[in-house]
Amino acid sequence: MNDVAPSRYKFVGTRPIRPDGVPKVTGKAMYAADLAMPGALYGMIIRSPHAHARIKSINTEKAKALPGVKAVITGADFPNHKFEYIGPERVAVNFWHVSRNVMAKEKALYDGHAVAAIAAISKSVAEEAAELLEIDYEVLPHAIDVDDAMKEDAPLLFEDMITRGVEPTPTKPSNISKKLEFAIGDVEKGFAEADVVIEKDFKTAAVHQGYIEPHACSVRMDPDGQGEIWSSSQGHFVVRALTAKLLDIPVGNLRAMPAEIGGGFGGKTVVYVEPVAALLSQKTGRAVKITMSRDEVFKATGPTSGASMTVKIGVKKDGTITAAQGVFRYQAGAFPGSPVMNGCLCAFAPYEIENQHTIGYDVVCNRPKAAAYRAPGSPISAFGVESVLDMCAKKIGMDPVELRLKNAAKPGTPMIYGPKLAHGGYIETLEAVKNHPSYQTKLGPNQGRGVASGYWFNGGGESSATIQVNADGTITVATGSVDVGGSRASMALMAAETFGVPYENVRAIVADTASVGYTHVTGGSRVTFATGTAVVDAAKKAIDELRSRAAMIWDVDVEGVVWEEGAARPASSNVGDFQPMSLKELAGKAAVTGGPITTAASVNAGGQAPGFATQFCDVEVDPETGKVTILRFVAAQDVGTAIHPAYVEGQVQGGVVQGIGWALNEEYIYNQKGQLDNAGFLDYRCPVASDLPMIEALLVEVPNPVHPYGAKGVGEVCICPPMAAVGNAIANAIGRRLTELPMSPPKIRAALDHSND
Amino acid sequence: MPTAQVNLTSGFSRRYTGGRREFEIEAKSLRDVIKALDKMYPGLGEHLETETTVAIDGAIHDEPGYFQKLREGSEVFFIPKLEGG
Repeated sequence: MNDVAPSRYKFVGTRPIRPDGVPKVTGKAMYAADLAMPGALYGMIIRSPHAHARIKSINTEKAKALPGVKAVITGADFPNHKFEYIGPERVAVNFWHVSRNVMAKEKALYDGHAVAAIAAISKSVAEEAAELLEIDYEVLPHAIDVDDAMKEDAPLLFEDMITRGVEPTPTKPSNISKKLEFAIGDVEKGFAEADVVIEKDFKTAAVHQGYIEPHACSVRMDPDGQGEIWSSSQGHFVVRALTAKLLDIPVGNLRAMPAEIGGGFGGKTVVYVEPVAALLSQKTGRAVKITMSRDEVFKATGPTSGASMTVKIGVKKDGTITAAQGVFRYQAGAFPGSPVMNGCLCAFAPYEIENQHTIGYDVVCNRPKAAAYRAPGSPISAFGVESVLDMCAKKIGMDPVELRLKNAAKPGTPMIYGPKLAHGGYIETLEAVKNHPSYQTKLGPNQGRGVASGYWFNGGGESSATIQVNADGTITVATGSVDVGGSRASMALMAAETFGVPYENVRAIVADTASVGYTHVTGGSRVTFATGTAVVDAAKKAIDELRSRAAMIWDVDVEGVVWEEGAARPASSNVGDFQPMSLKELAGKAAVTGGPITTAASVNAGGQAPGFATQFCDVEVDPETGKVTILRFVAAQDVGTAIHPAYVEGQVQGGVVQGIGWALNEEYIYNQKGQLDNAGFLDYRCPVASDLPMIEALLVEVPNPVHPYGAKGVGEVCICPPMAAVGNAIANAIGRRLTELPMSPPKIRAALDHSND
Repeated sequence: MPTAQVNLTSGFSRRYTGGRREFEIEAKSLRDVIKALDKMYPGLGEHLETETTVAIDGAIHDEPGYFQKLREGSEVFFIPKLEGG
């Protein structure tokens, strides 16, 4: 692992142990499934065995009559919501859809779709009751593949769905929920100027986020209408808001507690079980706990979209890209809302290309509703774009890093989404790869090297933090950001740096929705940037308060007191001859100088910088079995300032590993009936440590001047390049271009067997 | 008062401004921009506040904030809101 440049900070940039480390490695950390509320009932969700079926009737009487069963609910028990898209385009929420994903009403739209739920005194009673439910389905034809779902004669999930974004408005319904289009320049003119034009079709598989911890919650609704939710999520404020909306409960009546989270990667930014448990609790007057099985996680929680795409790029012999075009068709799953817009916007974002055109299709099909997954949408389009770029480099005889350097986006480069790029960082990642000692090493037989890059917007937005100075001078930092990647350590480091006190004197926690201000989800690589800004703001307020307390003790004006190296000091000798007062001393005087020292800050953080990544890998392909072994993987990424470099490296390594799984093995296997045949980690093959070499993270630090310590989001862009990097390496190893993910041994064997492509 | 160059996406302009995408608006802050556009197209301000991410001189802000300052010639783009993982 490389060392980053010497830090100009005392604490930021160091690698202390995370505050949640000991309870996690000793098995004592409290995850959602660990909590047992007094008198809690066992909650169980009954799921459709059909990919597509009309629900003609559900008879719950026999199940309800079983001793020990306290409630049985169906979609009919949930409040009705208007059919309307609320909010911004990509993230528009239609609660008519959301409520039906939580519990089907008219139709079951995928294998595993929730159709009923039971609250009982035990698991065995709930399972017995499930057998007594009488559900009359009319099984309908289904569409799993995105290209099949787009066909004119495809079975329709919604008989009245008219494609949005097309003019004139179509008169015929289809599974295409929406069409999007973005363009700059004139692509036809650009392609005419090119010496080489390459166009290729690609397919990517839907892949699950693969978090180890299944969704789980405990909910208790009281007779006065108030309730508590304990659950595993990436944002307990959003869990509270969605549960309240779906059940018509005032937001203030719910309090959501953040449990430790065993991975989310975007998939825990939505709700599945919490509204069901809340409704069962309302019906029974008892707390209800629901814990998903692994089978349920795979069948009913969001993977990211599978997709098909066509990418066309034109280059001159000198390497100038003259035009780029992409048509991206993304599975949304059973309800509209794939990340295809992000795919369209990120596809060519690392490059300065005068003429660009992207078209996106959001397509419903009989799969679970797609949910966010690391840089949602961007890795999918990057696979096609970065593969075609590799082919272009080869065609004109140029090194793939040099091709990218020649066309690299920089501050001032026009982006397809309108504005000019404000931040650099991409070129530095290319230089880091180019200068890496292993980039020029020779490879052996059946080995190949592949390069690819990626872009992600990163996020900012609303976050809150509070600071308490404790009686002994230690500091408690509370934020509303669920800690999925070591953010408590990062928050504590930024607070320690601001106060000028050791990291060990600062403890960071994640507070519940009643104890800290609104904070948006831990997603979009936003927490270190946005919540970190709130923490620093709150710390600065506390320092101002500490200065005023010292001024009161010294009988001087507050302007005569400065805060340096963790203590209040006289601003000059003119102020008086006072010894510095430490945090501990000032905390000891808190009562007589005005009471507890507590501050809070809330921000809408903007001006975040995007993330750029460039990676290369070396692979060896076994020509007999088609197995791909990753020999080396080097991942360069612009991370702004690495607040906690070890955890930044962890993010980069994690993103790469998930990308390698996406590239080589992960896929949903549906049978002829549209049922998922590999709903478990045995058959859904994620990479494990023994499959991989050490992933070498190269942290390139180009600080974002808007953030107090220069932080940029780091958790997502790392998953954008791996699929193309691996695909390009395989192409170089075997002389065949694979265009469909996963590039699993059977596909590689087939490619080796067919030499005419 | 500084003048900002304000841009909407084609989709947004199609829905709310009769297809007009570019505006020159005298504004010291994003609040002034939103107020001016809302005056031209009543109701547009609410759409801008809730449905867009804003880029000011290329720097992206997830949520348009009234407090965001503008300078002479600032480029303001209201673009579709983004979602992360």
